[in-house]
Amino acid sequence: MHLLNVYFFLFSISVVQSFSNKNHTNNWAVLVDTSRFWFNYRHVANVLSIYRSVKRLGIPDSQIILMIADDMACNPRNPRPGTVFNNADQHINVYGDDVEVDYRGYEVTVENFVRLLTGRLPPGTPRSKQLLSDEGSNVLIYLTGHGGDGFLKFQDSEEITSQEMADALEQMWQKQRYNEIFFMIDTCQAASMYERFYSPNILAVGSSLVGEDSLSHHVDSSIGVYIIDRYTYYALEFLEKVNPQSDKSMGEFLKVCPKSVCISTVGVRKDLFNRNPDNVPITDFFGSIRPVEVLCDLSNVTLLQSKQLSQEEAFKPKKYRYIDPIVNFNTIKS
Amino acid sequence: MKCLIVSLGILFICHLVHSYEGTITEELLIKPLYSEQVYTHFQFSTKWDIDPDKETFRHSPLFPRPLGEIVQRFDIQELHVTLTSGLWRYEKWGYPVKDAATGVEVLAWFKPGSDVDKNWKLLANSLSGLLCASLNFIDNTNTIKPEFSFRPRGILESNLLNNSYVRYANLPHEIVCTENLTPWKKLLPCDSRTGLASLLNSGHIHNTRYHSIGLHLRPVCRDKSCESMSLELQQTVSLVYDYLILGTKNWSLRKLFGQGINRKCVLVSKSDVYVDTTNQDIELEPPPDETVTSVRGGQVTTLQKYIVSNQFLNIYAKFQNADLVSLNLPPPLHANQYLSGYGQERGGIVTKIYNNHWKQIDVVLMQNIPWFIPIYLHTLKVTADGRDIKPIQLRYIPARQRERPTYLEVLLTVPARTATSVVIDFDYVFLKWQEYPPDANFGFHIGSAVISSYLPVARNYTAVPWDGSLISDSFNASRSGYLVEVRTENLIITLPTPDFSMPYNVICLACTVVALAFGPLHNITTRKLILKSKRKVLLIERIKKFLFSLKKTKTE
Amino acid sequence: MSLKKLRIYNNLISTPRIIITCLSAIIVRYYLMMSKYQSVIANHVEVSTPLNSWKRVSEGLYLLSLNINPYEGDLLHETPLSLYLYKNILQVFQGKIHLAFITLDVTTAVVLYFTTKKFTEDLFVEEEENKATYAKDAEECFLKPDKLFKSSYYVLLTYLFNPYILFSCVGYSTTVFYNLYLSVMLFSMVHGIPVLCGVFLAIAASVSFYPVVLVLPITMYFKYAIKSHTKIIVNLTSFVVTSLLIFVLCSNFGTDFSYIRSVYGCILTIPDLQPNVGLFWYFFTEMFEHFRELFIYAFQINTTILYLIPVSLKFRKHPFLLTVAVNFIITIFKSYPSVGDVGFVLSLMPSFSHLFPFSQQGFLVGTMLVISTSLAPILYYLWIYCNSANANFYFGVTLSFAVAQIFLLTDLLFSQVKRDYMLKYGKDRKIDGEEGILCLE
Repeated sequence: MHLLNVYFFLFSISVVQSFSNKNHTNNWAVLVDTSRFWFNYRHVANVLSIYRSVKRLGIPDSQIILMIADDMACNPRNPRPGTVFNNADQHINVYGDDVEVDYRGYEVTVENFVRLLTGRLPPGTPRSKQLLSDEGSNVLIYLTGHGGDGFLKFQDSEEITSQEMADALEQMWQKQRYNEIFFMIDTCQAASMYERFYSPNILAVGSSLVGEDSLSHHVDSSIGVYIIDRYTYYALEFLEKVNPQSDKSMGEFLKVCPKSVCISTVGVRKDLFNRNPDNVPITDFFGSIRPVEVLCDLSNVTLLQSKQLSQEEAFKPKKYRYIDPIVNFNTIKS
Repeated sequence: MKCLIVSLGILFICHLVHSYEGTITEELLIKPLYSEQVYTHFQFSTKWDIDPDKETFRHSPLFPRPLGEIVQRFDIQELHVTLTSGLWRYEKWGYPVKDAATGVEVLAWFKPGSDVDKNWKLLANSLSGLLCASLNFIDNTNTIKPEFSFRPRGILESNLLNNSYVRYANLPHEIVCTENLTPWKKLLPCDSRTGLASLLNSGHIHNTRYHSIGLHLRPVCRDKSCESMSLELQQTVSLVYDYLILGTKNWSLRKLFGQGINRKCVLVSKSDVYVDTTNQDIELEPPPDETVTSVRGGQVTTLQKYIVSNQFLNIYAKFQNADLVSLNLPPPLHANQYLSGYGQERGGIVTKIYNNHWKQIDVVLMQNIPWFIPIYLHTLKVTADGRDIKPIQLRYIPARQRERPTYLEVLLTVPARTATSVVIDFDYVFLKWQEYPPDANFGFHIGSAVISSYLPVARNYTAVPWDGSLISDSFNASRSGYLVEVRTENLIITLPTPDFSMPYNVICLACTVVALAFGPLHNITTRKLILKSKRKVLLIERIKKFLFSLKKTKTE
Repeated sequence: MSLKKLRIYNNLISTPRIIITCLSAIIVRYYLMMSKYQSVIANHVEVSTPLNSWKRVSEGLYLLSLNINPYEGDLLHETPLSLYLYKNILQVFQGKIHLAFITLDVTTAVVLYFTTKKFTEDLFVEEEENKATYAKDAEECFLKPDKLFKSSYYVLLTYLFNPYILFSCVGYSTTVFYNLYLSVMLFSMVHGIPVLCGVFLAIAASVSFYPVVLVLPITMYFKYAIKSHTKIIVNLTSFVVTSLLIFVLCSNFGTDFSYIRSVYGCILTIPDLQPNVGLFWYFFTEMFEHFRELFIYAFQINTTILYLIPVSLKFRKHPFLLTVAVNFIITIFKSYPSVGDVGFVLSLMPSFSHLFPFSQQGFLVGTMLVISTSLAPILYYLWIYCNSANANFYFGVTLSFAVAQIFLLTDLLFSQVKRDYMLKYGKDRKIDGEEGILCLE
């Protein structure tokens, strides 16, 4: 025990509202891959592409909830363990060297996903598995997997319907768990997933309209499966050019992947969103940029240490010892 | 003004470092195995001279605070967590420094008097957040309380043990990847930029035959007299590189880990690399700082020691005679496990324990079998060389569906130079359709059996004695017995599956059959038998009548 | 006069013939038990369910010998008293368990023989007494003594050589014990021994729970066939007293209730979903979790009390048929039926030979039983061992097996109704000179 008077210097940090239209205070991202099995490698590459981008643009790992239904990086079929690439030429390892997956494998279920969004988690859930957003949070929700008209499959065994998705978001709104949501989905018939939304301040984009399939980009012959989906591939291409200081807008992002390259039509829903996407910086959802000013007013706080036990008082000589790590056979036999 | 703040801040940090009572050491053991692999074991030890019972962990300068909070909040006395991918091949590789089963293993001893069941569940949840693994699947359905094996590795005041304070669980299906290594590295005092930790690059770690990362927390003696406690945290990484994957037998640090050691971690009091050159004709470059010869249990080991300094270090090993294959002597005790039987109705679990020693060995066999594999204890049969062996002791708690696993501990004397097989029969269980995982046809895992024993000889033995902490403590550490905890293979069984697309159909069909009984019985019991005119109104007549009536209404 | 007639027919079946039948049954059983087919038969899910498998009993006895509470685990679903009984039987027969099973099974057959004999006699006497009240032209459906008095022998024969019973005995399923309890219960009921009847009803109910509902048919029997109110009371009292005694003994004088969860919990909540010939296993495998409880209640009520009161009221004049019918309903719809249960009910069928002329679905039922019985093991093998079929195939077979039994039951009851009508109104089926048909209205 050491006696210490600890002085804490409190740096007053104030958030300066530099733009009048910027009213969020923090950023969260919920990135979900709902597909299991090796042949769905591309969906893991999709979600990791977005993960890489938001992390690079400044959202810390503690505010990114990453759900991946299967392990591709360390899959025995992966010839390059510990990597997931977005491109056959292995330009970008989207898995990276310091990835933190919050929900993985069997944990990626509809129940866990809806509980995560609505915050109705069982007691004892660690912070890294909670979406601790508030009324000042801009939340990016990205989903990828296999979908159909009005549903998205989770691990080939269950599905979330568009109505359930819409209700979960409404519950988030009523619980003041977000300021604005950017909902992004890359599945077949993606637009059907956001058609039922009825809560305010949601901007939604889907890789295909109802009746259309979302297509994959290309095959990596060394792993033998499709490596990434078209929409996310071009979204990543766009995001790679964005840096935290860039002035690119959401409007530009919504125009990513025109039909000529995507083959499917990218669907956008703006009616619930009350700002013009062209005036919204892309970092409002994909980054975490807040102008911070350090003020030099010092306040001195003395932390009083509770009365310390004197060395002599506390120290009663005890005799500790190691014991046999497994039972002593002689005592049992006799 | 700003300068003042900065200088005060620096003073503050210096004060913290200074006031830290304890030591941080890091060690790396490199041991070429047999002829095809090289084994590397990292061990980062933090010894903190505090009394874990009194410390509140509010102020933990170099000890990782998230772990401190876990220790304090859940009344933990000892904690061992390992995340492993691949299987340690005892018969070829000898014994590792730390045994670990494929998948995740968690073992915790709680302080007496704590609410163990609640703390265990919360501990699993916290660890799942801390290590990014699905440890939250640990609950009563896969946890056992071993009585003979897994006793505390740390110090105790009394030697009275109560196994109601121990919990052990394994998740054999858990995969281990970068996402687990990343948070693990964040617990290291120097992060991963300096010292030995800079060698841990995910790309090179997962390119191995076997990798295991571990956290081992226990109370240890502060000094020789052992009158006060210290808290020791060991973070370990074990890797087995295959020469085939490396492409050459001549390894170097850069080849194994992608880079050499740039700088020493400033907080570390001891940072050593040992290369085991016993019976190996290896030329090392640069030459070692020191050569250590260790005699332990009749086994002589030669180790080359490098002390990590602030100079760049890349050890390069060149085999003088690359074609020379050293003779593999299997270790005294190893084991494996497999399933017997065919079909999906009845089967058996066979555990084979090989004793290569010239004397009989006492072993404890511990099994944690999931509840969906109910075993028949009366079919337990232990045989060696065709002779039945009677277990010395048996501890058995049968499984209960959806509540707890089967816990079985058997004390055996394994005869010399034989393979002893332990066979037990089980039934395949039919689960509810919603209990099957999404990849139901992949199968269900059964965790490895653990075979613990004190070996009389230290052949192929590398572990640190339990009263020591560092790899250097294992040099010349002859004891009366050498503890091994051999892990076997995990098993996979495919349970019979229902048709997952059928629920509505099945419910409708079964209810139809019930209705087939209900209808006639209802008729027979509530109605009277009467004689009725046989003349039936034919269908055509009825239609005619109906059409006629329609016509009539039209004309009206 | 009727008694005189009875005496003539009494010796229709000679005693040596019965003994030879029993001996040949013993030989068949012994041969099968000693052959390699024993384990094959014992391992079939149609024969051994979680509730009656001998392997589980062995496990329970072994755990007991190690001083481990056998109800800690999930495997054992026998009551402590049964377990005690098996332990002693094993001791008495010095581990030659097959001899015990053969003895018990043949005893059951003999008890059923005497039960049916008494029943047919009673039936005949009753008809002789009431002949005056029957319709003029109903002679055709009067009992034919030479046929009627052979039926007890046919019961013996069907019980001993019924493949269902044979497999059940050779497979060491504890249904053999259960069948013995039921047969003694029927025997003492027919012979008007209320104490024995109550005791064995309580034993059967303690083993498998469902026979509790047989209280009502038995009461009906004592009321309408024996016509004695004191016997009703004695019967009920002995049932309650024995049940309490069994409870006290099983719970080790009120100290250990762990068996209740394992025995009755298992019967009522169906936690073990191993396939069997019943309807429950696949239904509750595929059940949605939030509806599980509802359907457990629905199915158990269907098995026990749904049909009990209407059937009891309708067939109160035929209390033996009523008892068999209620037992049949239990067999069809119980949670873990085995072929041993089905065989027991089927072997009682010859005692209703006087109803056969009125039955309509005999051929259909017979075909369905034969086909489903032969297909069940094949499809199970294809599913579990070859992986070329799936659970639906086996489920289909169990469905048709259940349907066949249901048809047989309803046909039997309907035959009785038709026979009653015949006796009352004669065989004339004319309304205003035109041909009419019988129907339920």
